[in-house]
Amino acid sequence: MEKDARSAPLSRRELLRMIGVTAGGAAMYQAMDSLGFSAESPYQGPIDLQGAPKGASVLILGAGIAGMTAAYELRNAGYQVQILEYNARAGGRNWSLRGGDTYTELGGYTQHCEFDKDLYINPGPWRIPYHHRGILSYAKRLNVPLEAFVQVNYNAYLHSTGAFGGKPQRFREIKADYQGHVAELLAKATRQHALDTAVTPEDQEKLLESLRDWGALDKNYAYVASEASSDRRGFKKNPGGGLTAVPIPSDPIGLSDILNSKLWEGIPSGDTFDMQTALFQPVGGMGRIGEAFGRELGPIIRYNSKVLEIRQDAHGVTAIYEDTKSPGGHLEARGDWCLCTIPLPVLAQIPMNVGPAMTAAIGAVPYASAIKTGLQFKRRFWEEDEHIYGGITYTDLPITNIGYPNTGYHSGGKGVLLGCYIWGLNAMEFTAMTPPERVKKALEYGSQIHPQYMKEFDNGVAVAWHRVPFIMGCMGMWSTDSRAKHYEALCQIDQRIALAGEHASYIGGWQEGAVTSALDAIGRLHQRAVAEGSKA
Amino acid sequence: MKVSAVLTTGLVTANLVMAALVNVAVVHVAHADDSTFTSTAGYGGASGAQIYDQICQGCHMPEGAGAVGAGHYPKLAGDPALTSWQYVALTVLGGRNGMPPFGLPVDQVMETRTVHLSDEQVADVVNYVRSHFGNKYKGTVTASQVATLPHPGAASAH
Repeated sequence: MEKDARSAPLSRRELLRMIGVTAGGAAMYQAMDSLGFSAESPYQGPIDLQGAPKGASVLILGAGIAGMTAAYELRNAGYQVQILEYNARAGGRNWSLRGGDTYTELGGYTQHCEFDKDLYINPGPWRIPYHHRGILSYAKRLNVPLEAFVQVNYNAYLHSTGAFGGKPQRFREIKADYQGHVAELLAKATRQHALDTAVTPEDQEKLLESLRDWGALDKNYAYVASEASSDRRGFKKNPGGGLTAVPIPSDPIGLSDILNSKLWEGIPSGDTFDMQTALFQPVGGMGRIGEAFGRELGPIIRYNSKVLEIRQDAHGVTAIYEDTKSPGGHLEARGDWCLCTIPLPVLAQIPMNVGPAMTAAIGAVPYASAIKTGLQFKRRFWEEDEHIYGGITYTDLPITNIGYPNTGYHSGGKGVLLGCYIWGLNAMEFTAMTPPERVKKALEYGSQIHPQYMKEFDNGVAVAWHRVPFIMGCMGMWSTDSRAKHYEALCQIDQRIALAGEHASYIGGWQEGAVTSALDAIGRLHQRAVAEGSKA
Repeated sequence: MKVSAVLTTGLVTANLVMAALVNVAVVHVAHADDSTFTSTAGYGGASGAQIYDQICQGCHMPEGAGAVGAGHYPKLAGDPALTSWQYVALTVLGGRNGMPPFGLPVDQVMETRTVHLSDEQVADVVNYVRSHFGNKYKGTVTASQVATLPHPGAASAH
């Protein structure tokens, strides 16, 4: 195994990112976490919060997806609701950077996004699986139109610096050839009676038939250059019309080459539950959901509010905060109850009188390093030259991903690519650079896959999540151990304070985790509020 | 039952992932065509200065300047907490308040997507931050001293 790994170019990188994990780092984390493998949303439709005590109030900290989901439902149920939000906008990690936007990261580097109108990058979440019914239902209720997010594009690339001379391969060809060769081998084994003890003679006939079908094999169960195999992997010359109509089949890549390239690691990128078709993105950028929530909640949200201290007593919860536009002030907001969605790295630094179990839990969750860059090019060469419409190219280069826009196809003018999406050590290394250096590096690496990069580059932005002022990290990373020790304490209501956010969920890093944790928490707060009865 | 179906799938996935991780963990070939970026498992050769420049400075900033937003990254320049090398080493090993741990066994770093530093590297970077940015804290630390401190994940390392 060691030997295999050493000679395997893709394994030199963290190979998990090839399986679609990159994107939702969460997916890998869930796979690893023996407690966290259920990614299915428990969302069961709108929450029922009947019987809110007259005049009862809830103070919500954070206008991200969790905080705004809670505010929306609690307000509708009759509670007095106020949100304090650090940023000058609603959404939190639900965020799109668009032309004209300015973003200043920790350390003081300011970037001016110079994308053309309607072009954007989502520094945070960028896709929504069809089974994330909670976030989808809020998009629907808030009239945020959706369009398809392309996870798997058969014409995008799988790329390894150590295979095929560094030339990117079409996903289509690697998948068809891997599948064809495996089908041929299995058919051979069957016909040589190697499977006689495992498969009955009747089933063997059906198995052979299915293998021919599945692998695009010929009548002798061989995977060869043919119309059938080219129908999967593509033709050397495509069928056409008129005198030039005759198609010419293409030659499959040999089994050994496929196996040694390790590009097969990229084949299941759309097979994991979180990445299965259909996936969605809001028209105009993921940030449209947060913006719609913000409009819906209006004056309920107080922006530019930095929480300094959270104090609860027998009757309610007070947050002491300052206005970031005039620091040094001492402002107070109060509610009978508090739903705190402040990300844990920030919350851990805010004095709050909760019990030792919750305090320990808040300090027990490291936040991952992750980075994205958005690169604007003068033309959509990936469409014009390479016929790649949306989807993702995976590579063992440090950039890991190139994401193509899943919208605006064939529109003339400029286009914006996701130039990298990185986790782990390489993300830390990118984070330690200045934004212009990150963009430059993303360009250099990406040009190994798309040689048009350097000529067509226009401008770019880079967001490194450990430098994002409102969170200081990308997402909470529970280990099996820390979850066993601290998760319940994190989610239990401590007198009058409950926490919510993706960090308080088993759908870590996904907006659905934020929605479902918020609904769970306010359901329990509501029960307490009802039990306590109307205010004296 | 729905639950058990989910369980099974999850375990299978977890096993596959674990198998993949084992492969990753034993590889220590740095990325051949690049001197800036390194593979996680290939980070063993990085010095204290490199570790600071490539990892720590992402948050603690160049020159240990720290930063303030909704929360803050401590300024390491002149930080009296650095008086105690144990405090610094324990922070690097175990993380603190959202800061990733860097002392996990190499086969456990993927679970939280962090990086493994050897005791020698921890000692190196501790010495580095205690002797740079204008800091002149007394004494240097050795790998064997770091080894005596509690390491995260040690109980379940096997």
